[in-house]
Amino acid sequence: MINETTQQKVLDYIDGRLSAEERKQVEQLLKDDTEVQNWYEQMKEMNSAILSSKEWKPSAALRESFSAMLQQELEVEKKSKSIFFNPVFYRAAAAIALVIALGSLGFRYSKQQAKDAEILALRKEMEATRALVFALLENDQSASQRMMGVKAAYETTRKDDAIVLALINVMNEDANMNVRLSAVEALGKFSTEAIVQRALIESLPKQTDPAVQIALIQVLVQMKELGAVQSLQKIIEDESTIESVKDEAHAGIIKLS
Amino acid sequence: MKTNATILGLLLFTSSFTMAQEFKLAKSTGKLEIKEVNEVQIEGYNGNEIIFTSLNFSKENDKRAAGLKAISAMGLEDNTGIGLSVVDKGNIIEVNQLKRMDGPKVKIMVPKGVSVSFVHTSPYGDDVTFKNVESEIEVSTVHNGVRLENVTGPLTVKTVHGEIEADFNSALKSPLSLISTHGPVDITMPAATKLNVSMSTSYGEIFVDPAIKIEFENKGDWKVYGSNKVSGKINGGGIDLTLSSTHNSIYLRKK
Repeated sequence: MINETTQQKVLDYIDGRLSAEERKQVEQLLKDDTEVQNWYEQMKEMNSAILSSKEWKPSAALRESFSAMLQQELEVEKKSKSIFFNPVFYRAAAAIALVIALGSLGFRYSKQQAKDAEILALRKEMEATRALVFALLENDQSASQRMMGVKAAYETTRKDDAIVLALINVMNEDANMNVRLSAVEALGKFSTEAIVQRALIESLPKQTDPAVQIALIQVLVQMKELGAVQSLQKIIEDESTIESVKDEAHAGIIKLS
Repeated sequence: MKTNATILGLLLFTSSFTMAQEFKLAKSTGKLEIKEVNEVQIEGYNGNEIIFTSLNFSKENDKRAAGLKAISAMGLEDNTGIGLSVVDKGNIIEVNQLKRMDGPKVKIMVPKGVSVSFVHTSPYGDDVTFKNVESEIEVSTVHNGVRLENVTGPLTVKTVHGEIEADFNSALKSPLSLISTHGPVDITMPAATKLNVSMSTSYGEIFVDPAIKIEFENKGDWKVYGSNKVSGKINGGGIDLTLSSTHNSIYLRKK
């Protein structure tokens, strides 16, 4: 058995790391001891194998087959990913996406446009109604024209604050009782609006004509407008109020409380 | 214009002793506003003058007042010779009477293009009547009734205590609004009249000739029994007719 020190020395000899004196010593030992020589031969072979393996180049055939394999592998890899990154596919997908996007945008746009057109038409209709209502209501020469104005206002399908305010104004200010009365009736339609409720209550003390007073009381009672009780009380206490209006106010207070 | 009317009035006044009690005003358009004139009959006609005629001059024959003019606290002047003040304001012609309580009984002939407004609040006087008037009529009275015969409308008539009677023919113009708080509202019309009718009473009844068929306007399936407002179409709808009597009844008759 070769001791470790000798083995190390032999390996160092093979690697050429020994001094000249040590080299002579190992060469002497190799001549004298066959066992060491054998081991040396083995080690040297192994070492050369290791060294040669370090510089190992695959044969041309192997190289080709390997690079072919590599290429194949790369291609497989490319193919598997190119489902998404293939430019053609990408473009097609982009095109489709664009078409869909444009389509939906176009649909939306046309929808929006239709909506806009609808809004515009509504606005036009509203403006036309408003213009008609106002033109009729402003005719201070003709009560019947103002009455038609109130009717047009009553028939508006959409709530328009300007028209509601105009109706309130007519209810309180119009010179003709029939017109005022028709405004009270028209406002009854908008009685869910807070502004109308308040206006109806506030109008009560302003009205002097019994027909309008009674109509107002009836509308307020129908609306269950508790805020009207005080005004009703005032109507009852007012000496200028005619009896039938007082009766209506009494009845109103009873119905409300 | 005012002085014109005044001069015209004065001319007519001076001539009134010899002529029929008449006052004429050339007008074929505009609005005649009659205020607080106690006894008035108004009649439409084809002409270009508003003609005021006194129907009871003899009653006015107060010997003590001979040669004197009635004047009023309102600063009005009898410029017609028949106890009326007529002031031409261009588009509006204002008519007042000078006396407070009795006043003259007047017939006023109105051209077709002139609309008429009649306002009366005092307890004096008598029903106001309109006959053959083809222009707009506005009436507001407190105590006196309103009688309408062969008028076309548009009409806005209201009275507090008076009754309203109307006898319509087929030619009508929207809207027709007839409202009395305490008096009955009594309408006669041709059976074929096309109307959108709205009738309401709080403490009265609504009577309709059985030959007049009303297509009631329902709020869905919800018919309000006990409600005293009826609206619907007659003969398919047409002219807007609003009738209301709060404390009295409504009568709708056919001719």
